[in-house]
Amino acid sequence: MDVGSLVRRDAVHRDIYTDPKIFDLEMERIFNTTWVYLAHASEITQEGDYKTTMLGRHPVIVSRLSDGSITALINRCRHRGPTLCQHDTGNSKFFRCPYHAWTYDNSGKLIGVPLPQGYGSDFKKEDYGLAKVPRVAIYQDFIFGSMSLEGPSLEDHLGGVKRYLDAYCAVSPTGKIDVFKGMQKCAYNGNWKYQLENGVDPYHVGALHQSSVTPEAMKIYRQGRGNVIAMDGHGVTDHTDWGPMPVDAGLSGGFNLVIFPNLIVLRSQIRTIRPIAADRTEIYTNVVKLQGIDEEINIRRMRDQEFEFGAAGTFYTDDIEIFERTQHGLKSEAVDWIVFARGLEREEMRNGYMAGAMSDETQHRGMYQRWKELMTCEPAQMIAAE
Amino acid sequence: MNPDQEKIEQFMYREARLLDKQMFEPWLDLFSEDAIYWVPAGHDDIDPREHVSVIYDDKEAMTRRVKRLRSGYAYAQEPASRVHRLVSNVEIGQLSADGQELEVSTMMLLVELSRHRQLVHSARCEFKLQPNGEDWKIKRKKINLLCNNEPLESTPFLL
Repeated sequence: MDVGSLVRRDAVHRDIYTDPKIFDLEMERIFNTTWVYLAHASEITQEGDYKTTMLGRHPVIVSRLSDGSITALINRCRHRGPTLCQHDTGNSKFFRCPYHAWTYDNSGKLIGVPLPQGYGSDFKKEDYGLAKVPRVAIYQDFIFGSMSLEGPSLEDHLGGVKRYLDAYCAVSPTGKIDVFKGMQKCAYNGNWKYQLENGVDPYHVGALHQSSVTPEAMKIYRQGRGNVIAMDGHGVTDHTDWGPMPVDAGLSGGFNLVIFPNLIVLRSQIRTIRPIAADRTEIYTNVVKLQGIDEEINIRRMRDQEFEFGAAGTFYTDDIEIFERTQHGLKSEAVDWIVFARGLEREEMRNGYMAGAMSDETQHRGMYQRWKELMTCEPAQMIAAE
Repeated sequence: MNPDQEKIEQFMYREARLLDKQMFEPWLDLFSEDAIYWVPAGHDDIDPREHVSVIYDDKEAMTRRVKRLRSGYAYAQEPASRVHRLVSNVEIGQLSADGQELEVSTMMLLVELSRHRQLVHSARCEFKLQPNGEDWKIKRKKINLLCNNEPLESTPFLL
């Protein structure tokens, strides 16, 4: 399979959304290599706090240890394989598999095995600690993990997007953000990359969201001099020409970020993409709470988020509708190519990055170039165990 | 006004029927001006000021939701879902001391057909009702979805 040929400069082949073999390769070459967003540090503030999530196909427990550091363990007993922890969040310094009572501390060390003499004299508990996500790194309290022992640092991976994450947190008077409790969880019958494209797609807002978007907000998209930017493999729509990221998280100024491959940051949300299959995706969203501002403003931000996004959101249900219609449409072999050609003629290098006009598809082309680079690269060696 | 089991049940069936038949405007009229329409996320008993919900609408937001559905551009409801609601297990609590609030809980089984796919949504609904002459107004409708901690399929219709 020549995966590279599926991404052209101005179009991508429908197989990348529909072929289960491509999906398997994405799990291996993208999600098992690059930096994947796992959690926000404000979800696990206390010693022993944990959050479970998915890193590609790996169930993961992200824990805060007694020294304050953060570790990410594969949520799979080293004995026979069941997941150890069943909760979204909680606090525990130990994880015990109920099957045969193998017990681990939250750094992954195996500390208890019933009747260990049955394994013979060579058995060492040190050899059976929980597998770890080999690299965990944090930027502005956003916690990422990489299944690859080697590769670019998180900061190199984020590249120019760091500046936007800085600006996102700087909206808070303390320079730090928290998240509200709980998550909005949604699922759709469609490929994960529709969500990646849609998170930075100003072109669709005036059309698909006609029933929800206000005329004032539409001006940003139709009259603004903002940019869409292909930034180190990530996608940015920058409408700060209309104003900085607003404290009320309304549709006035600011920017949208899609941090390849699974994180979307926009308005008051941290949205995470969980690919399940070529035609199935789950979306988990945290709502951001700004530190140091009036509680009522934070509550208003959450109420707006609930009205517009999540499984019943006035914007988001129309997005999901399109994701599912697209999966249906792409089953047809009559047309192979999906067009990403807007702005090819007018995009230009600005501040070191290719940038297009507000309705262009420069940012999508950038993300598909990153996709192609990773998909045509032999995967780095994954670590097997502790 | 004494809460009468049969009258309350009829009120609950009417609320369900108005939604099933997409009679959204008379449905909105069932709610008081300070009403809350609430679908918790994660679990049933969350603090909506500390924890995100699926829906937490006041009357103004409910009205905007209906307006969108009527706009002709709500593509997630083009065509509209067909829905059947079965409402049962209607349990009536005590009328508050001032006679202004009555708690009623029901079970709802909602069967939805959209995009050629039939889905079942199960919920326990907790209502707060307010006397309104011979009738009632809904002060709060809280929908505790069985699946409220699962990734939900798109829910663009009114629950």
